[in-house]
Amino acid sequence: MHPHLAIILLVANLCAACGEPALQVQIPFEARFSTESISCDEQGDIMLTDLRFYVSDIQLTDTTGRAHKFDLDRDDIWQQPNLALLDLENGRGECVNGTSEVNNVLRGTITQGEYSALSFTLGVPFESNHGDPLLATAPLDDAAMHWHWRGGYKFLRTGVRDSDDSFWLHLGSTGCEGTLQNITGCKAPNRVSVELRDFVPGRDMVVVDLAELLAGDTLSDKISTDCSSGPAEENCVYAFKALGIDHATGRADGEQRVFSSALSP
Amino acid sequence: MKKGALILVGVVLIAGILYWSFADRDYQWPIAEHMPRPEVPADNQMTAAKVALGRRLFYDTRLSVGGATSCATCHIQALAFTDGKARAIGATGEVHPRGSMSLVNIAYASRLTWANPLLEHLEDQALTPMFGDNPIEMGMGGREDILIEILRTDEVYTSALPRVFPNDADPYSILNAVRAIAAFVRSIVSFNSSYDRFAAGESTAMTASAARGMDLFFSERLECFHCHGGFNFTDSTTHENSRIDRVGFHNTGLYNVGENGAYPSDNTGLYDMTGERRDMGRFRAPSLRNVGVTAPYMHDGSIATLEEVVAHYERGGRLISQGRTAGDGKRSPYKSEFIKGFELTEEERDDLIAFLLALTDEGVLKDPFLSDPFLKDH
Repeated sequence: MHPHLAIILLVANLCAACGEPALQVQIPFEARFSTESISCDEQGDIMLTDLRFYVSDIQLTDTTGRAHKFDLDRDDIWQQPNLALLDLENGRGECVNGTSEVNNVLRGTITQGEYSALSFTLGVPFESNHGDPLLATAPLDDAAMHWHWRGGYKFLRTGVRDSDDSFWLHLGSTGCEGTLQNITGCKAPNRVSVELRDFVPGRDMVVVDLAELLAGDTLSDKISTDCSSGPAEENCVYAFKALGIDHATGRADGEQRVFSSALSP
Repeated sequence: MKKGALILVGVVLIAGILYWSFADRDYQWPIAEHMPRPEVPADNQMTAAKVALGRRLFYDTRLSVGGATSCATCHIQALAFTDGKARAIGATGEVHPRGSMSLVNIAYASRLTWANPLLEHLEDQALTPMFGDNPIEMGMGGREDILIEILRTDEVYTSALPRVFPNDADPYSILNAVRAIAAFVRSIVSFNSSYDRFAAGESTAMTASAARGMDLFFSERLECFHCHGGFNFTDSTTHENSRIDRVGFHNTGLYNVGENGAYPSDNTGLYDMTGERRDMGRFRAPSLRNVGVTAPYMHDGSIATLEEVVAHYERGGRLISQGRTAGDGKRSPYKSEFIKGFELTEEERDDLIAFLLALTDEGVLKDPFLSDPFLKDH
């Protein structure tokens, strides 16, 4: 490192420390199917087959209504300062091709204060979404999350199954233009904006309800369905709607119903 | 004495620099001088050692889940690096929506695969079959550690990787494996069919029938050459001197589901990437080189023989009278303007097919430099 840069960084660090001490915050996530928790390997009527997703632009809103940036700790596995990969599957049971490592908590810091709401984006920011995955740093170095075919990342990959039916979803930007390494934009960004208006850090957790995601499908027709965000895929319409996205445009359309807050156990 | 030593040092230095620079550029394209060279990414120049390394990786079944599938499973040399199947089958038995494309002269393709406008370089494309899971092809997503372990422990790779990538602190990376595979695939070039020899002035290289077929192929009456034109018989062609990005995707009237122009939902072509209705059923025109050995035809292998392919274009679209994909492709609103239909006599049909068969280069199908290096071990 250049010595001047080191000094500047040192000064910046000192100044960050000279204001109010930052608050260490953990934001836990839990997967559910309706009211029940759902997992890959604990026997239930509905089993999880996958649940991994990226979140970015995390903000907590204080009780005066002001939004503050939540700075994720960099850990070289799951988190960069503005991007985290949550992995709620454990590679066991029905989660074939999963990983044994689990990451169900966002860890970071925020200015001291009293907070009452949480917001984040489900997805990778455009600037980070279209680089070479083989040169990317964690958590963008996960080949299972990269979507070479569509030129970006899978923002969300999830699925559930019962004894004779299943549903899975791969969500990511589509209609991208340019060529790989030189993507200029995507017609359907398919990023999900999540706002949890009653969320107190330390008290609450984020619940991911997969029943909401596939309420339009029902696991009762014995026909496995899937959605990989393509424009011709009718199976995507309801799942996208549950995520607050219009499948036809890839833009926000109403409020998402999949993420909600609940008291931490 | 001192002077002599100085000269010696100088000579050694110059020899070293010369060797070093030639070692970097020792790859010779196996094509005639007048043919344009393929465009090669600046960060993945061709070397003979890299191509040899890539060849072994290409044929290495350990790079797949289950250990029985390699790139060559779906890209068989004797079939011009296709697999003879209507639709490819991955390492776990999953059936791909589309068929394996030929790799011959893929170095000249301006875009890769059947209908992905984003894929320009083999280094990017290779990641889909290796790590993609929808469908699973080689199934290595989440198994990167296993891949690296093979690179680190296999004797051939531990010897080759540091030599091929001497500037890398750690050459045992997926990136380098992918670069080597891409270099090998780029080396699969071929311009030595009967047609090529005929075009170079060897008048007996093609039969009279094939020569008549060539005239038909390049005629405005049949229009074949609009999409399958140029030295590589596809309009999506690029090379080191190209200044224009030439890419063609075409709807050939293969489907017209529900008579509204739709294609089956798992194979909508360019539409799946762009979401633009006008892109429904548009696929990249593949090179027709070696088309005699790449059956079955079309993106989904839905036409079995060359005779039936010609019949499809004669009619100007395919009629499917019943079933889930029923519809008359001839009336598709998205069909290419060049698919107008034409009439051929029996003899003309035979001539056209004789010409298509003359595009086969027997040499590339047997070239020992492109064959499976593992077979020698047994």
